[in-house]
Amino acid sequence: MTIALVQHFYRPSPRTNVSPSLFAVETLSLSKRYGKTDALRGLNFTVNEGEIMVILGPNGSGKTTLLMILCTILKPTSGTAKVVGIDVVEDGTKVREVMGIAFQEARGFWRHKPSSILRFHASMFDIDPAKRQDLIERTMKDLELWESRDKLFMHLSGGQAKRLETAKVLIQRPKLAIFDEPTSQVDLRGKRKIWDKIRELRDQGSTIIVATNEVREAEYLADRVTILHQGQRVVCDTIPKLKDAIAGGDIVEVDFEDPVSEKLVDSLNGLGGEVSMSPEGNQLRAKVSRAEDWVPKMTSASYVAGAKIASIRITEPSLDDVFLHFTGKALADQP
Amino acid sequence: MNRVLILAAYNVRILLSERTWFVLAWALFGLQIAVYGSLMSKLVSTAVPNYFFFYAIGLMVITVFDSGADVGRHLVEHAHEGELPYFLSLPVSRGGFLAAQAIYGVANTMIKVLPPLIGVLWFVGDLTIQGAVFALISMFLLGLGITGIMVSMSFIAFKSVDIYSAFLAGLSALIVRFSTAFYPLIFMPSFYSPISIFSPLTYGADLTRWVLGFDPNFLLDPVLAAAVVTAVAVGTLSLSARIVDKVIEGVKAA
Repeated sequence: MTIALVQHFYRPSPRTNVSPSLFAVETLSLSKRYGKTDALRGLNFTVNEGEIMVILGPNGSGKTTLLMILCTILKPTSGTAKVVGIDVVEDGTKVREVMGIAFQEARGFWRHKPSSILRFHASMFDIDPAKRQDLIERTMKDLELWESRDKLFMHLSGGQAKRLETAKVLIQRPKLAIFDEPTSQVDLRGKRKIWDKIRELRDQGSTIIVATNEVREAEYLADRVTILHQGQRVVCDTIPKLKDAIAGGDIVEVDFEDPVSEKLVDSLNGLGGEVSMSPEGNQLRAKVSRAEDWVPKMTSASYVAGAKIASIRITEPSLDDVFLHFTGKALADQP
Repeated sequence: MNRVLILAAYNVRILLSERTWFVLAWALFGLQIAVYGSLMSKLVSTAVPNYFFFYAIGLMVITVFDSGADVGRHLVEHAHEGELPYFLSLPVSRGGFLAAQAIYGVANTMIKVLPPLIGVLWFVGDLTIQGAVFALISMFLLGLGITGIMVSMSFIAFKSVDIYSAFLAGLSALIVRFSTAFYPLIFMPSFYSPISIFSPLTYGADLTRWVLGFDPNFLLDPVLAAAVVTAVAVGTLSLSARIVDKVIEGVKAA
């Protein structure tokens, strides 16, 4: 992905830098076995209060199993899991009071209407009856469901059903909101709407976990990303740090107005990374770990050498590359 | 409103949206007692006086059994249509979830049984509020016991609907056919009666007949019947509460 230089240097700071005092979610040696299959294998995982944690992994990596344990639907085979300090096995009802989940498959009675499904959900979570109808109407309009409010659930399209699933959590505004592949089957316009509403929910104070195998979704939403592979946590960090962890992951391409001297090339090689020049001698390509550190040094060296820069392009690795780097397998190739 | 009641009301609303099934159930009941009830009554009238009434109560008790089985089926449908995980993620305890299912079961039973009960009592000229209320209490207790059995068994269906259906068919054969729903225990051949006393329907049917004033010579001791029906209700509901809490998981996912 090629991005503008300015964007690259002014990435917004992740909210997680705000030193949270308590883990909203914490698992310790969490395992889940189905017969002979290990879905989760000794998972240690934490989510900070007020952040969007994206769990990235292919199908079968254990994402949904982890979410089902956190919302008390599945019981772990061993290990512990806590949501805002409450043990999911010991005190499941209290956990369910503080969390909301949008399932991977939309859930609803086939002959109910979206508006009645949301009314039922709102009443189960004690949403103020005086504000309930207004909140439901606003949320349905935000997610472009209002026109379908009187359709039966069984007549909703896949995308509408998924948006309805998201709407349940949005009207609930839980302390911990879980979204399992929230935009699968949703068109690009709908995806943007859902993503923006999820971020809005985070800004209102909810802690959010999003499980996905869509790189774009992770890039758009994540304060931090946990890569899950074969039931284990491979790595967890902010996206910039994950990308920076790939040695030579950033590619910098520089066009000079004139061919540059051998001396400048030698000095650029001394800045770290792998530098190569075009045969014409006026185009440079460098593979570096942190373009934001390397580019200022390169521009200074070029200035000293009297070389005039015409343009700079920076290409950073994608989360696909990050997944490949840490697991040795491409995300898209997974079953 | 209490969350358990909200959940129960949700289930009952779904139940009430299926009015056609109730009309069919009442029509079937009417047809059954009009044809088989009156014919059988003529055939056995020398051995059992007022067999028509005996048969009608037995048929109502079988309806209670079917309604209890509906609760288990309802739970299984929730699981297979994907609603169970949603319900299990709501902020009610597993016991509360079970209570909501039981309220659904009671509503289902009462809707199916009350009109036939009033109709039969009116037809035999024995319609009193007291009799109808005690008969309903007796069948209510029996219904809770059957509901408990069915919910306890329904978790089998989460692994295989086929096994659950086979199990239900076998259970129905044993509990219904070997019970005293249609035949007084004293007329049971000796090789059937030991099985009959293990059926909760035997006690439920005889207790209901007793509270409606049927000849006690053809019935079990009402105290024993009341004790067994109550014990089955308490025991199986406790068991199902434990199973819902410890065994049932809403979905398996990787």
